[in-house]
Amino acid sequence: MADKGNDPVAMWQNMIGEMEKGFNSFANQAMSSPEFSKLMNQAGGAAAGAQKHLGELMEKYLVSMNLPSRAQMVGMAERLQSIEGQLNEIKAMLTQMSKASGQSAVGGTTPMPPRTKRPPSAEGEPK
Amino acid sequence: MNAPSGLDLASISDRVQTEVQRAIQRSIKGVEYFATSGPALGSTPKDVLISRGTMNLYHYRPLADEIYRVPILIVMATTNRGYILDMVPGQSFIEFLLKRGYDVYMLDWTAPKPEEKSLGMEDYVLDFIPESVRRVQEDSGVEDVTVIGYCFGGVLSLLYGSIFHDGPMKNLICFTTPIDFREMKLFSNFSDRRYFDVDGLVDSVGNMPPELILQSFEMLRPASRAASQVQLWDNIWNDEFVKSYRMFDRWATDTLPLAGEYFRTITKDLMWDNKLFNGTMTVGGRPAQLDKIKVPILHAVAEHDHIVPYDAAKHLVQKVGSTDKEEVILKGGHVSLVAGPNAIRRLWPKLDSWLGGRSI
Repeated sequence: MADKGNDPVAMWQNMIGEMEKGFNSFANQAMSSPEFSKLMNQAGGAAAGAQKHLGELMEKYLVSMNLPSRAQMVGMAERLQSIEGQLNEIKAMLTQMSKASGQSAVGGTTPMPPRTKRPPSAEGEPK
Repeated sequence: MNAPSGLDLASISDRVQTEVQRAIQRSIKGVEYFATSGPALGSTPKDVLISRGTMNLYHYRPLADEIYRVPILIVMATTNRGYILDMVPGQSFIEFLLKRGYDVYMLDWTAPKPEEKSLGMEDYVLDFIPESVRRVQEDSGVEDVTVIGYCFGGVLSLLYGSIFHDGPMKNLICFTTPIDFREMKLFSNFSDRRYFDVDGLVDSVGNMPPELILQSFEMLRPASRAASQVQLWDNIWNDEFVKSYRMFDRWATDTLPLAGEYFRTITKDLMWDNKLFNGTMTVGGRPAQLDKIKVPILHAVAEHDHIVPYDAAKHLVQKVGSTDKEEVILKGGHVSLVAGPNAIRRLWPKLDSWLGGRSI
């Protein structure tokens, strides 16, 4: 096998690694200035405003095309999440009830093993 | 003509052959990559004990015949999903703990809904964690609980531990937990109070969108996403590499939104006023001073953590009031400290050796 110094693939991978490090370090330096923060937050504020405006336009367009908007899709996802949450609550209640009645729990929960374990050596004993 | 010195023609031919084979494999596996989903994550069997809005409390089913007396409650960071600690069998921290005989619970989060935008720090520290601790006590029948907090889960655990310092927390373990927010230099600069209108943002968007959170994490290393995609293409012939890439990439981009009021408090009290470090932090009017924490504490930090730099985390052990305390600096980054081959070799055995004797 060619040694690493002559291996073009290793050289390519090394170059990518070095470029990544160099660019990250350069960007970190640039981003630590107060000017960057000012610009970023101004641009962020403007972008948020523009995004809101664009979102409203897009919403109107989707309504006219009889298509669901992002807000409606997010609403659907939230509805699903809430149904999932309610199912989890029912499952949790059933687990609790079956534990209270001393039966094997929903989903086949096995009885808990005894809480008698000791560490294998004295290494972890507090000083 | 002779080959240049240091070059062996036979090895060059082998290398070319290998690269041709890899190029063919890349084309085949590249198609497979887009046609298949990644490995199933977070599949260690568990029961849901509490599911309330953004909060979920899980209990993992035991994998040992005998367990330690004291159960563990893991408090996950609010920005990310808990399956980073339960990737796939053989690479799951949860599975490791269960097999070593620990009884494991996890307080994990789902995306807060728009109507949960008013959740504040007091909901997390004075309600969600205490309720989880109570449920763990009730379920396990044991008064004592070991709390493990990862990243911001560590901050929440510290706040809980300092307010309920005479409560049931027996041990505290923090992974990469910042307390000196001035030292999170880039985050600090991004949220500079002169330019960052947190009130305007929270009042207009409600919950902080996950894209914004992900973007701010990615800005810390802006070239790394592109470089990792080049790396993926280079290694797409390697099934193990691809599996690992998919697991970590899925987790890293699966960022959660943050409840608006909670984000406002993080920005103002922690990023701007550094109140936890200064000892002036209060939650719901109750003082949260680190020196009130007296239980045994282990703080594991990563040598190359770009999200929580060592300087932001290094004062934790010194600031708590415990006498039994230890900081361990391990090789790796913010994520590789807790998951992946690095964690399996370094953090997990260290934690087991520290916690075993303190769990009886």
